[in-house]
Parts: sequence; C-alpha cells; structure tokens
Amino acid sequence: MKEMCDVASLLENSGTINKLLARYGVKFGIYKNGQFKEQLFPFDAIPRVIGHEEFRYLEKGLKQRVLALNLFLRDIYSDKKIVKDGVIPEDFIFASSGYMAECEGICPPKGIYSHISGIDLVQAKDKNWYILEDNLRVPSGASYPMIARGLCRRSSPGTFEKIPVEDNRNYAELLRKTLDHVNVGGHTVILTPGRYNAAYFEHSYLAERTGAHLVSGNDLMVEGDKLYFIDYKGRKETVGAVYRRISDDYLDPMNFVPESLIGVPHIFDVFKKGNVALLNAPGNGVADDKGIYYFVPRMIRYYLDEEPVLHNAPTYLPFYEEDMKYTLENFDRLVLKDVAEAGGYGVVFGSSMTKQQKADFIALLKREPRRFIAQEVIDFLDIDIMENGNPVPRKADLRAFVLMGEEPMVWKSGLTRFSRNPDSFIVNSSQGGGFKDTWVLSR
Amino acid sequence: MGIISLEHTDRLYWLGRYTERVYTTLRLYTERYDELIDAEPLAYQRFCTDLDIPDVYGSKECFEEKYPFDTMDPNSIISNLNRAYDNAVVLREEIGSEVLSYIQLAIYDIQTAYSSKDMLMGLQEVLDHILAFWGIADDMIESEQVRNIIKTGKRIERLDLYARLEMPASYLIREVDRMRFRLERSGMDYKKSYVEDLIRLVKEEKIDYYRIVNEVETILEV
Repeated sequence: MKEMCDVASLLENSGTINKLLARYGVKFGIYKNGQFKEQLFPFDAIPRVIGHEEFRYLEKGLKQRVLALNLFLRDIYSDKKIVKDGVIPEDFIFASSGYMAECEGICPPKGIYSHISGIDLVQAKDKNWYILEDNLRVPSGASYPMIARGLCRRSSPGTFEKIPVEDNRNYAELLRKTLDHVNVGGHTVILTPGRYNAAYFEHSYLAERTGAHLVSGNDLMVEGDKLYFIDYKGRKETVGAVYRRISDDYLDPMNFVPESLIGVPHIFDVFKKGNVALLNAPGNGVADDKGIYYFVPRMIRYYLDEEPVLHNAPTYLPFYEEDMKYTLENFDRLVLKDVAEAGGYGVVFGSSMTKQQKADFIALLKREPRRFIAQEVIDFLDIDIMENGNPVPRKADLRAFVLMGEEPMVWKSGLTRFSRNPDSFIVNSSQGGGFKDTWVLSR
Repeated sequence: MGIISLEHTDRLYWLGRYTERVYTTLRLYTERYDELIDAEPLAYQRFCTDLDIPDVYGSKECFEEKYPFDTMDPNSIISNLNRAYDNAVVLREEIGSEVLSYIQLAIYDIQTAYSSKDMLMGLQEVLDHILAFWGIADDMIESEQVRNIIKTGKRIERLDLYARLEMPASYLIREVDRMRFRLERSGMDYKKSYVEDLIRLVKEEKIDYYRIVNEVETILEV
C-alpha cells in the first residue's frame, strides 16, 4: 500500500511524537487503589486509514443514526409515539437507568438533544463496519487525535505532503459552531468536574481551542431564572451555553443527587425554562442504553422511513423469549454485556467462563433478563501497532464524532483505540489501551 | 478586560509565586552548594535560617539531596515545582498549551536530575525551563490581565524572598518598584497604603526586614 511507504518516516519519528505528547501533558487520570494518577495515553504512530469513498459511506450512516437518535429523544420526552405504536416496548424506556422523568415535556434549544455524539464502530475481517455502541451523554476522546495530528505533522511533514489526509484539527471549530448554534445569549462555558476527572486534559484543551471558558460548579450561579458566571470581582456575566462534562446525576444537587459538590444548584431549572443550552441535554442516557441499542435500526425505519446504512453487531435481547433461547443455546460463542456498565466493564465472553461461572451467570440472566444483551463476537479486523520496533496485530475500534449544529457534521477523523494485550478485545484507556490517529483520505 | 473567575485569578497569582520560588531558591541552592564544598559540615543550616525553613536534614549530605528532591518535604524545590504545576495544569485555556508545556518540562527535568549522576547540570535545565516559561508567557499569553496577575505573584514572591534573605537595599528598592508596577496593572485589589509603606521601608537606614515580609505577605488581604 502506497500510504504505508509514506508512513515509514512517521514511524521513525514515533519516539519524538510520544515525547511531544508528554511535553504537552496529553494524559488521562485514573484511580488505582483509591489514589489518583495521571498517565500518558500511549500513542501508536501507525494510523488507521479510511478511504475517501468508505468514509462517505460511514458519514451517511452516522448522520442517519444520530438524526434518528435525536428524534427518538424528542419523542420519548414528549408524545412517545414510538412506544404507542409498539415499535419499542415501554419496559426498555422507563426501566432504563438513563431515562429521566424530570425531562418530560422539556424541549432543549433548537430541539437538539445529542449535540456531540460518539459512535463506536468496529470493522470486521470481511471489511464490514458494525456499530458497537452509541455514546450520547458525555463522549470523550476527540482531543487526542486532534493534538496528535499537529505533532505528527511537525515530526514528519513529508508524510502529509505525500498523502492527501483530511485535516482533523478543525474539531474545535466544529465544536464551537455546535455550541454557538444553540447558545441562547451569553457566554459559552465548558463545565468540568475538575482536575481529578479522567478526561480533564480534554476539557482544558477543548476550552483552549474553542475559546470557551473552562469553569467548575463554583464559578456559576443561578439567579432569577438565569445562569451566571461570576468573575473575580463578583460581577455576573450571563451564560448562554454550557458544554457540561459532568454526568446527569451530578449536574444539579437541587434536582438530582443532593450530595453533588461539582454541579450547579438549579441549573436544570434554568434549562427547563429555555434560558440556557446544556450540551448534551440531560436525559440522553435513555437512548444510549445498551438495551435500546438493539432498537436503533427500528428507530431509523420509524422516524426516517429509511433502511439503516450502518448495521449493529448481531444482538439478542434475553428479555425476549426467543432471544433468551438463542442466547442459552449459543452461550459459549457470545459476548454478554451488562447494559448499566460502560468503559469496557461488565463485558464477559461465554467462552472464557468456568462451568460454575457459567451456571451462576445463566441464573442471573434468567433472574434479570432486561439487564443484559448478548452479541455475536465480531471477528475484528486487526490493526498493526508497533511493539519493540516490530508491527504486531491488535484489536481496535473507532469512535466517530457527530456534531449536531444546523445540520449533522461528521468529523473527518475519529479516535482509534487499541488493545495492547494480544488476547483482549477491550480497548479502553482505563484498561491499558492506547490510541491512534484516524486518517480520512481526501481523495 | 476578559472575564476571569476568582479561582483562576488565585491560581494565576500562585503560579507566579511558585515559579519564582523555584527559580530563586534553586539559584540560591546552587550557590550554596558551591560554598559548602569548602565550609564546615553544618554550614548548610544558615540556608535554612535565611529562608525561614525548619532544619529537617541533620547533615550536609542529607540537605544536598533532600532539599531539591524530597517530595515529602513541603519546603523542597520539587514540592514547590509540583505546586506550580498544580496551578498551571488547571489554567491551560488561560495561558495556552505551549506556555504550560514549559512547566511540564521543568517537572520532567527535576525527575531526571534526581536520578542523574550530574545532578547540578540536571537542575540547570529546570532553571532554563522556568526562564523559558516566563519568556513565552510574556510573548504568547494574549490577555494582558492574565500576564499581569502571574507577574504580580512573581514580584510579590521575589520581594518576600529577598527580604527574608536580608538582601541589600538596592535589590529591595528595585523589587518594590517592580511589584508596585504590576499590582497597579493586575486589576486585583490590594492595600495601597502598604505599597507606600514598603517604598519608605526599603529606603530606611536600618531596614526592618521582618516588617517588610509581613507587609508583603498581607498586601492582597483587602
């Protein structure tokens, strides 16, 4: 492959790129044995390359999916037609931990719920792409390939002269457009839980690149149905949009978890009145629940009257008798996922269980069928990473970012995460995974 | 003026103070390290007395190793550098990644210096990166207010240290003047009467260093 020859000089400079990433503090936080530690996010210089036409196909499917998910959220928190029409059973809506009754009847500014969506995909050995999950709450990761690209270009300019790669450093610009589109008037801020959050680097880097103010809960206050930023002299400045990197539960101690020290009292009330945009909107968890994932193709048909462009990994819901039967009969070749877990946790492979573990798990599955989904194990297309100077194949996924401004925009790049363990499918950084840049060819 | 939160103002100020503390104490340490080659073993205690820090070292060798590198000693150079980093890392969008990277580099330098055979040369790199930090902060931070707050911290810390070290009047006169200049431009509230006091105090025949330290330490307590 021609690209791989031109990539050679990039690989020779891999050490330099990682040194630069360390210099700029490209880290993520992790708690181990109750202690917070900052770790460098290991970067592998071999990029994932997506062809121009292939990306156009992904782009079409991703836009379609995010549009349908937004329509679903609007419907669920208003008329619930999709439930009334029997397309999705109500058990999967109201029993979902992501459903928030407090959001009933609220329409966010411009009717957008998921402004920044992180859609996880994998490519199988047959080259087909499959959606693994939708992240519509606070998806993270775009900052890593964005900063890495600049450093790669600095280390190996010739590579980028020869290969026509779409420039991904415009992510901050797309994000700013998205924030401005729904801003109801006032400053734009990024609300962070603070330095000890795993993704703090990203919060601060995106604030720098978008020109938004990075704030913590203490910097904001609600007064008379408006949200204000308080400056060091005590002056109040109106806030019109909040890109919040705090989960729903901790966003507002007066409306949700009362013990939260990182949220802003009454911010949800201001949002309800339409006086501030919250990105992403509270309550989105109902749409990225692993159980709801099963129904996304149905949503696309229902709301858009189109066939889904991108396919889910073959998934079974033990909630349905027929799917339970299939799951039990094929247990050893399926992967089972707890719908309430994230970050690679709550994922078990039938084949790796002992006899006793299997018996215990099946008993649990029968007791709580709504809690799990079962999926065929996708035979991932391995991607090479460099290890001790040699390329070795590893499992990798792709998080694509779709931003919803006036229209959906798919970022021409993405976060490719890989497992450093040759026997593992788990690519999450919290479990030792690394990342790659994702190149989309411009022609 | 842009809008800056109270927390960020505080952190900008302390970023200035801690980077200055690292710079001046490191320079002083390097000078004293040289003097200690010829001096009697307990001569290092004068360094502790001058800086008003407890002598937790017990020997010259222990002092030479622990004062720069002991993360458990709150007065060590590395502890002060870590505090500079703790403030800088939450100010990325105010100061910029490029400026922040010089504090990160100084952290790597001091970690490398600790395990290096040529420790003093390693520490020189810390100094170089602190100097580069100030240079690039001046050059790249767009907001004048942000620059002035960092520099206010730097100037207050330097005057504080120089007074503790009982430096000659000429040094103090210059530092009071620099501090006054920054305070006026920082937009921060401060005790104006203390500035007048300090201008007078540093010109007195018998300088009251203790009072200068006290006034400098409380000049922002409005």
